[in-house]
Amino acid sequence: MKKYALYPGCVMPTEQYAYEQSIREVLPFLDIELVDIKGFSCCGEPMKSVNQLMTLYLSARNLAIAEKQGLDLFVPCPICHLSLSECQRVMDNNVEMRDRVNGMLVTEGLKYEGTIGMFHTVDLLHDVIGVEEIKKHVKKPLDGLKVATHYGCHLIRPSEIGRPVDSENPQKMETVLKALGAEPLDYPEKLDCCGAMLSANLPESALTKTGQKLQKVQEHGFDVFVDVCPWCHRMFDSRQVKAGETVAAKLEVPVVYLTQLLGLTFGVDREKLGLNLNLSPVDKINLGGK
Amino acid sequence: MGNKIGVFICHCGINIASLVDVKALTDYAKTLDDVVASKDYKYMCSDVGANLIKDSIKKHKLDSVVVACCSPRMHEHTFRGVVEAGGVNGFNLEIANIREQCSWAHEDRVRATEKAEALVRGAVAKARLLEPLKPSKIDVTPMALVVGGGIAGIQTSLDLADEGFRVYLVEKTPSIGGRMAQLDKTFPTLDCSSCILTPKMMEVANHPNIELHTYSEVVGVEGSIGNYKVRIRKKPRFVDMEKCTGCGDCVEACRLKDRISSEFDMGMGKRSAIYMPFPQAIPLKCTIDPDHCLMLTRGKCGTSPLCVEACEADAIDFKQKEEEVEVDVGAIVVATGYDLMDPSSLYEYGYARSDNVITTLELERLISSSGPTGGEILRPSNGEKPGSITYVLCVGSRDETECSWCCRIGCMSALKQVYLLKEKLGDDVEINICYTDIRSFGKGYEEFYRNIRGFKTNFFRGRPSEVRDMGDYLSIDIFDTTTNKLFEIRTDLVVLVPALVPRADADDFARVLRISQSGDGFFLEAHPKLRPMDTFTGGIFIAGCCQGPKDIQDTVSMASGAAARAANILSKEELEAEPQVACVDEDACSGCSVCISVCAYNAIELVKEDDGKSHAKVNEALCMGCGACVGACPSGAMQQYGFKDKQILPMVEETV
Repeated sequence: MKKYALYPGCVMPTEQYAYEQSIREVLPFLDIELVDIKGFSCCGEPMKSVNQLMTLYLSARNLAIAEKQGLDLFVPCPICHLSLSECQRVMDNNVEMRDRVNGMLVTEGLKYEGTIGMFHTVDLLHDVIGVEEIKKHVKKPLDGLKVATHYGCHLIRPSEIGRPVDSENPQKMETVLKALGAEPLDYPEKLDCCGAMLSANLPESALTKTGQKLQKVQEHGFDVFVDVCPWCHRMFDSRQVKAGETVAAKLEVPVVYLTQLLGLTFGVDREKLGLNLNLSPVDKINLGGK
Repeated sequence: MGNKIGVFICHCGINIASLVDVKALTDYAKTLDDVVASKDYKYMCSDVGANLIKDSIKKHKLDSVVVACCSPRMHEHTFRGVVEAGGVNGFNLEIANIREQCSWAHEDRVRATEKAEALVRGAVAKARLLEPLKPSKIDVTPMALVVGGGIAGIQTSLDLADEGFRVYLVEKTPSIGGRMAQLDKTFPTLDCSSCILTPKMMEVANHPNIELHTYSEVVGVEGSIGNYKVRIRKKPRFVDMEKCTGCGDCVEACRLKDRISSEFDMGMGKRSAIYMPFPQAIPLKCTIDPDHCLMLTRGKCGTSPLCVEACEADAIDFKQKEEEVEVDVGAIVVATGYDLMDPSSLYEYGYARSDNVITTLELERLISSSGPTGGEILRPSNGEKPGSITYVLCVGSRDETECSWCCRIGCMSALKQVYLLKEKLGDDVEINICYTDIRSFGKGYEEFYRNIRGFKTNFFRGRPSEVRDMGDYLSIDIFDTTTNKLFEIRTDLVVLVPALVPRADADDFARVLRISQSGDGFFLEAHPKLRPMDTFTGGIFIAGCCQGPKDIQDTVSMASGAAARAANILSKEELEAEPQVACVDEDACSGCSVCISVCAYNAIELVKEDDGKSHAKVNEALCMGCGACVGACPSGAMQQYGFKDKQILPMVEETV
């Protein structure tokens, strides 16, 4: 059993419970133990445009807390993951900044040394656990289910920082889904934005982005839409009906987290996976010979 | 101490004089031991300066000369000639570099003058101990090897052959012609490419001085300037070149007819397993593709091979074996050309995803009337005429993540194709061009560009973020930096203009030839401005795109230039070998062989003595004077003429 410190971020524990529920249900199957650590704060990303040092300090603080426990971090939110990755990059390459931030951490008895690794849901499943291990636990394969994947921008870019997947042709989710028996298909809009980042100042435009993408997915005839980011999921799942209004379409695309789909194939109860919390028509998903 | 020394100090206009007190330096030099004359002049490399040196040699009966001036790379050769003319051995000359290594590098006049004094003092110390050296003579083989049968190799071969030298032209593929043979028209004059190329190819085939080796590769090069031994591997064609008449009956008969992707057509068309790359191929003989032919891959083709049945000349011979021939040449011209970058690595441009995303060279084959579609422009996905075509320039070029350099032909080749497309599809066809900058730098290019801008053509300045295959059409997202607007282009066919990259085997071939490559992988010229066709290896020259991307005009100029450079060597009966080579003190040499292991030119061998001991021996004709063995020798037995320890150590001592 391999242990990881779970860094929950802010959206998952306050609103997107289904993601956390499904993660906590699924990972024990795959010999992963999640450890909850006290003291984590915001990743810092929301402060980035006003106070970069604050962002860096908060990210470094979270990394240092995990480091103190000697545990690698599991960060299911791509935005937190990017913020922490950027911090690692600065701290590992800029000695001056590292000393400065460590000087601030010392009051809490913390220190960033850069000794731990960090994983997101996708690379944890694909790189660490591996599809062979996942296959062993599949009880109800997703026979021929046509799946559209959505990675979200923070997971794929900027590539020079080092992201869990390729920036132009991400394929790790597809590989995992194939192991579950699903049929993930490429579609032209795959890398399009979910719109979430526009929500604060251009809410109409944000929903339009969401609507445009989902409309295409519906037209292409996909059975299900899979994502791995609580922000994206909020747009595609929770706000699907409103998004449909912006493009004058009745959208009925089942949207699930990758971990929810994984749980279904492992035979976990829908409720335990939080599927009752999804607002999109997830009841349409049929497993095993549809 | 023997040598009487003259010191000559150059002002180099103000290049040196502005920061070094030349008068003081001249006076200082006079105070040094053995210096009997010290003079300065504004431009020592001028005629007047040269005469000053020559007159002083006579007047003061000088044995050695020190010139304090620019880098020896610049003028050592000049002054060597001057002192020779004055009656002193050219190697009794020492240059003190007080320009690049002093005046140009410093800001403080007093300290720069002090440094110049130290440099002159060191040079004088070495000049005291210089010995006259005599270059040895090397016979020259008056024949040339040209590698690569594209337009560069063809031009070089014809130039050299016309001058009366025997030329071995080696081409890797079954026919000469290269990239130019694949083109329909050339920019900016819109000459038909094959119409201007084919006569030259015929001339090569019929020239009494050219021996053509097609479907062959150079696998070994030994020797040095004037005398190279070259091994050429001739791949089996499985067709008897003497008997084959080039009728093409076998091509029609082949069981795999229209089943194999044609390299010449860039995969846009199909060929048989026995094939001729294109109708004007030279030599006009068939070749069997050993990777596909059923006889060669499986040992059987139906009941009997159809090509054998079809061939009236009885030319097919499945038993042919690879052969190796060795030729002697005095000079080598490398004209191996370029590859196109595979745009699949830029996934966002959709080349790997969509049939309707093609490259310029692929489109060129569609445009060509001898191409797979007979000159019709058809979408690969459904064979329909496109109503809208979009070009993406700089695919991989000028891109730090792929190739940092400009391909130099992309803009113009795209503009040329726009002209041809408008001609073929009518003015109504919509053409979009996504460009970074239009670089129309050559003679007549800008005029051509202006002409195209007058057509109905949309120019977007920027690089597309993504090319999406929407099934019926392609969609391109592009941010136009001239209007600061995001555009979505709907189009039927996307043409990528990929970067020009070195040949895939350039690294290996550079090692065979022992020539250098620049950081980008192209072969490196000896000087970017003044010796663009030379390599650092004597007698080996480069021409065309193997040195870096260029258009046909520049390639042909360079090819003729390389031929002239090679003829410079071939026209001499003998060459003077550089005398500053390594030499062995046989008594001090223990025969440890360290020098042999570091020598990159195979110039050192171990010789057995009568008493059973052995010592190293330098082959002066092969030694390039790099000095690696001198540095490696643990006993100091290995020395280099002109740079012996006893000459250099006093120089170091005096300078420091």
